[in-house]
Amino acid sequence: MKPLGNNVFRQLVSRAIRTDYLENLTGFAWLLLQPLLLLAVYAFVFTTVFKARIPDAGEIGFVPFLAVAFWPWTAFSEAVLRSSASVTSNAALLGKVAFPSELLPLSTVAATFLMHLAGYLAVLLVLQLLGTPIHWLGLLPALPLLALLCLFAGGLALLVSALQVFIRDVAQILPPLMTFWFFTTPILYGASLLPPQLAVVMQFNPMAWYVDRLRAFLLFGDFSLAPTDLVVPAATVLLFWLALRFFRRFSPHFEDFL
Amino acid sequence: MQPLVRVQGVSKYYPRVHRPGERLRAFAALLAGRQSREGAEVLHDISLEVLPGQSLGIIGENGAGKSTLLKVLTGVISPSRGSVEVNARVAALLELGAGFQPEFSGIDNVRMKAALLGMSSRELERKLDDILAFADIGDYVYEPVKHYSSGMVVRLGFAVVSASDPELLITDEVLAVGDESFQKKCIRWIESFLGRGNTLLMVSHSMYQVQKLCQRALWLEQGRAREFGDVFPVTQAYLAWHEEKNASESRFRREQQGAGGLYRVAGFSLPAHAAGEDVSIAAGSDLEAELVLYSPDGRPPVALFGLMRADGTPVYGVGSDFDGKAPDRVDERHFRYRIRFEHLPLLPGSYSIRGHAMDSAGLRLCDTAEIRFTVCGESRELGMVRLAHRWLTGQGHPE
Repeated sequence: MKPLGNNVFRQLVSRAIRTDYLENLTGFAWLLLQPLLLLAVYAFVFTTVFKARIPDAGEIGFVPFLAVAFWPWTAFSEAVLRSSASVTSNAALLGKVAFPSELLPLSTVAATFLMHLAGYLAVLLVLQLLGTPIHWLGLLPALPLLALLCLFAGGLALLVSALQVFIRDVAQILPPLMTFWFFTTPILYGASLLPPQLAVVMQFNPMAWYVDRLRAFLLFGDFSLAPTDLVVPAATVLLFWLALRFFRRFSPHFEDFL
Repeated sequence: MQPLVRVQGVSKYYPRVHRPGERLRAFAALLAGRQSREGAEVLHDISLEVLPGQSLGIIGENGAGKSTLLKVLTGVISPSRGSVEVNARVAALLELGAGFQPEFSGIDNVRMKAALLGMSSRELERKLDDILAFADIGDYVYEPVKHYSSGMVVRLGFAVVSASDPELLITDEVLAVGDESFQKKCIRWIESFLGRGNTLLMVSHSMYQVQKLCQRALWLEQGRAREFGDVFPVTQAYLAWHEEKNASESRFRREQQGAGGLYRVAGFSLPAHAAGEDVSIAAGSDLEAELVLYSPDGRPPVALFGLMRADGTPVYGVGSDFDGKAPDRVDERHFRYRIRFEHLPLLPGSYSIRGHAMDSAGLRLCDTAEIRFTVCGESRELGMVRLAHRWLTGQGHPE
């Protein structure tokens, strides 16, 4: 990317953070509060009402098991959803200034991840204070993993934000799709609860790998990686590259459709 | 010399995308790698080059495609066909304040705009004071831009652009906004910018500005380049075209007065020019016209010569009876008048000369003939006619 991109990207990220999260005093509080409330709801439903037993959680308990996976998912899902409109809502800017427009979805994703990373660290700290032994050393592999997840979100963001320009229904279809994805990923439950046929299918859900690794790193202190663990990172990078090509192939025509 | 901008055969279609079906079809065409041909063609086969120091003015009516061409040049939109090559540090100011987001403060928008113009944060910090001084809007810079007047937006936008030190400045009607003193400031800046050997590419409806700031001009008409070349001929042709257009729109129907052309124009010519050719006269040279009139009763008719601008505005008229001149008799029924306007003081532009036949008493206008001509030359003087004048210097005594 040209040096032009760097500074514009920084400006866009800081702008997105300020408008989306910090424009009012409670913005940042909500960032923590909203997932916390959801977490409390899920914890209530699953541990008190359903009395679900999660064998995968072991002695850790359901809430930390959920929290460690839930936050990254929220960041991921919010990043993709927010960025879907990032090109269309900046039509005025695109029509007047020439700049690499892929910076719009990418800056939205980066801003969302940065803000949620802060929330994630806060939640880990709270969990630790409430008695869950967090493997802080696990942050070393977890942070690059989150960066990779951010790249994954970036790839999808490039695809959906470009498609949204041409097909305005994308923004309507996306939220139910993300909800569907949420429930088909072992976030609320452990992968071992799935019947074997479904477990096979789950191998093709990259999010399952991400949450599984995050739990292993941060909750179980399991830093082992098999050669098969290279598949999702490679696929993520490939997706991002393809999505960027897709975006750049169509971005010259955005102005005609905005 | 390497051109700053080279545009080759650029055409631009806007696909029709209003209804979802049209959007899908246009998108499908894109996916298939075709350009949708359904839409409106806004630019057709434009080619031009801009050399360093050869500022270009783009002129034309509203909707001629001027802004679209600027957008193509700045890379905001891509051409449907043809290529655009820009080899310069460009700063573009399309619709002033472009890139400003109304929710953010002036200073935030300055940072963003500076980044978009390729300035690093360090560079901006160094220049920030200059920018704010140039914009001169005081503490308003800390307010959201949505509270600004349009003039303040312009000030801030121009201030950032001027600080970015471009080689090529692309603007869309910049100087039309802002108050008098800021306009002067902008003009001064642009003049010093041009003085440093930089280049301007501007859209303007003010021929005066175009002639003052540009060496070349492009006249766009319905997306096509009607004329491209040195600024003076192109702007003059454009103005003349406008004048004619206005005239044909509002031209009164000249009534044929008198008794069915009792006295007629039998011949009207400019002896220095063959009939039918485009008549073009250098400013300040002589214009000679010859009028042959037919008289049914053998009495010499009165001739009237009139000069008018292409839009029909009269410039000067004189009759043979005013000066007491008699015609040369050609034969029993034909009379010839010849007239010479010496050192024709008309300013460059399009004009016509008319010869009228009047009855022998000079009371009724019976017939008219007209020849169009162009006065060519380079001049920034305003109006139609050069009036003799002298600048008074020193104590006010003539030199």
